[in-house]
Amino acid sequence: MKHIVYLLTVLALALTQSACTDQCTETRVFRRFTPITFTQAQIRQGVGTEASRTLQDPGKIYTKDGFLFINEIKQGIHIIDNRNPELPRMVSFIRIPGNGDIAVRNNILYADSYMDLVAFDISDVTNVRALKRVNNVFPSGQFNGGNWWYNPNTGDVSDQRVEYVKEEVKTNCEEDVSPTWWGGMFLAADNRSFSSAQSAAPSTGGQTANGTAGSMARFALYDNYLYTVTSQEMQLFDIQNPADPKLGNKITLGWGIETIFPYGDKLFIGSQSGMHIYDNKNPQKPERLSVFQHARVCDPVVVHGDKAYVTLRSGNTCAGFTNQLDVVDISNLLSPKLIKSYPMRNPHGLGVDFPNLFICEGAYGLKSFNAKDAQNVELQEHIEKLDAYDVIPLGKSLLLIGKDGFYQYDYSNPRKLRLMSKIPVERPNAIS
Amino acid sequence: MNHVKLLLFLCVLLLGRPSEAQTTSRKVSYVNHTELGGLFGRVASGVVGNETVTNKVSLTLQTFNGVQLSKRLAVGALIGVDWYKAALLMPVGAGVRYQVTRPDNKNVSVFLSGDAGYGLPWLNKSSTGYAVKGGLMLNPGIGVRLGKPNAAGFTISVGYKRQLAQVEKPLRWNELIRDESRIYNRLALRIGTSF
Repeated sequence: MKHIVYLLTVLALALTQSACTDQCTETRVFRRFTPITFTQAQIRQGVGTEASRTLQDPGKIYTKDGFLFINEIKQGIHIIDNRNPELPRMVSFIRIPGNGDIAVRNNILYADSYMDLVAFDISDVTNVRALKRVNNVFPSGQFNGGNWWYNPNTGDVSDQRVEYVKEEVKTNCEEDVSPTWWGGMFLAADNRSFSSAQSAAPSTGGQTANGTAGSMARFALYDNYLYTVTSQEMQLFDIQNPADPKLGNKITLGWGIETIFPYGDKLFIGSQSGMHIYDNKNPQKPERLSVFQHARVCDPVVVHGDKAYVTLRSGNTCAGFTNQLDVVDISNLLSPKLIKSYPMRNPHGLGVDFPNLFICEGAYGLKSFNAKDAQNVELQEHIEKLDAYDVIPLGKSLLLIGKDGFYQYDYSNPRKLRLMSKIPVERPNAIS
Repeated sequence: MNHVKLLLFLCVLLLGRPSEAQTTSRKVSYVNHTELGGLFGRVASGVVGNETVTNKVSLTLQTFNGVQLSKRLAVGALIGVDWYKAALLMPVGAGVRYQVTRPDNKNVSVFLSGDAGYGLPWLNKSSTGYAVKGGLMLNPGIGVRLGKPNAAGFTISVGYKRQLAQVEKPLRWNELIRDESRIYNRLALRIGTSF
């Protein structure tokens, strides 16, 4: 008996010394910023058409008449012939420094170029020409979580180059993990008052002359106006003559404005504090009807009928720790009411083709839902092995853009999406 | 609902077994081995050069129910609960109990145990933004049983427990991905009863 007890004691000590250490590793991918400055001349003279190139850091997507426009963040716009969705063909690349958003009416493409708005003639997609530039209309903005701002005195734009860094940290196997020094710095930076403007793409009210944008768009077309939102304001451009955009009214919205989604004669504006609903019966001067308040997070919005679908996301530049889908009853536009919230992982853009609802979960893939019953939005499929930033459902095919490429899915069967084609991102440090 | 069902199942396993053994024919001999104890270990966290080491103790409870295949060997299924600091896992799986000492009528015997299965997170409740997913479990050990072979006995055992888990964590400012992979490596010290 003594021998056995001795044996057990020795064994216990041996195990404690050698093997009994928990191994917990946290994997993080985060952004690292490096300051960079551009002169006005660099920005304005940098515009031109080039041969097609590969996707490297895709942003927002826009589509019109079988052509795709994929923003290459801060670089320009890829034009892709997508009349055969099984085989999209890269046609050309419009070089536009500081570009994030796109809108197309007839043969005129509107794009932001840091502080300016530029109109292009795209009737010949291999030879796109700049028609007009409206100078100094956007004072600041944001790309990939990094802020930029224009200094009207010097004419310089101060921007930040973004790199993605992967890090593995040993944790104590518990929920709270102290951030490393850079994490602490970024958390502190989050409390700064400045919260950016600009990013990318457009959206439309469904007129045939306009293209279609994703939910992350900051540009929208309606009637004779192009609506653009910055972090605090909505800037209108009169495009009665599409080739000659003229500066229109400016409407103060509040802070943390992020997206604009036109639906009928209403404008739905996503901000970090809530969803703003504007009546656009007088397109020259939209008027605020109501605000649906929520926690301080990011929130693109799409609308179908009397329901609005809002995704709330933390992380990135968005504070808060809420990640969810809110289904909101907007039958009374003066008093929107929450129907139900559904937990999500890290929702970004979303698209609705009722009853199908598609939600991008960032690095955690794409989710396909059936939203027929607002009280029971049902998950139909979760495609995990891709990065999803924004989607555009086009009736049968789904356009999806993410950090690892552009995807097209056939969603005839929304429980099993079929991949029709993919244009991959090709750069050495792409996030996989 | 699943949780309730599992708890009921656990209760049935714990309470229903002895009477069952008495009503079954002699050829099939049922075995129950129920244990309570601690999972002892430690963890080193932080970056190289600035590591913090802390000790960890977790409560563990498990019950093994099976049949005696021979005088030495019993096989069966097990279910339990492990209270790790930030994860409440419920291991379910299969196990063996093998008597090392010669089967005779002595009051003391030594046995080896081997359990393997999957730690389910169904009973776990995480903080907002966190989600625990379970993982594989492995638990070999050795122990002493005090008591006559055909009667209820008292056991003391020591073993090694390896439990995997994956954890989703809420993203903070500027992060695109944040996940944690956990491997609990613990020394399991348990006391229990066996029939």
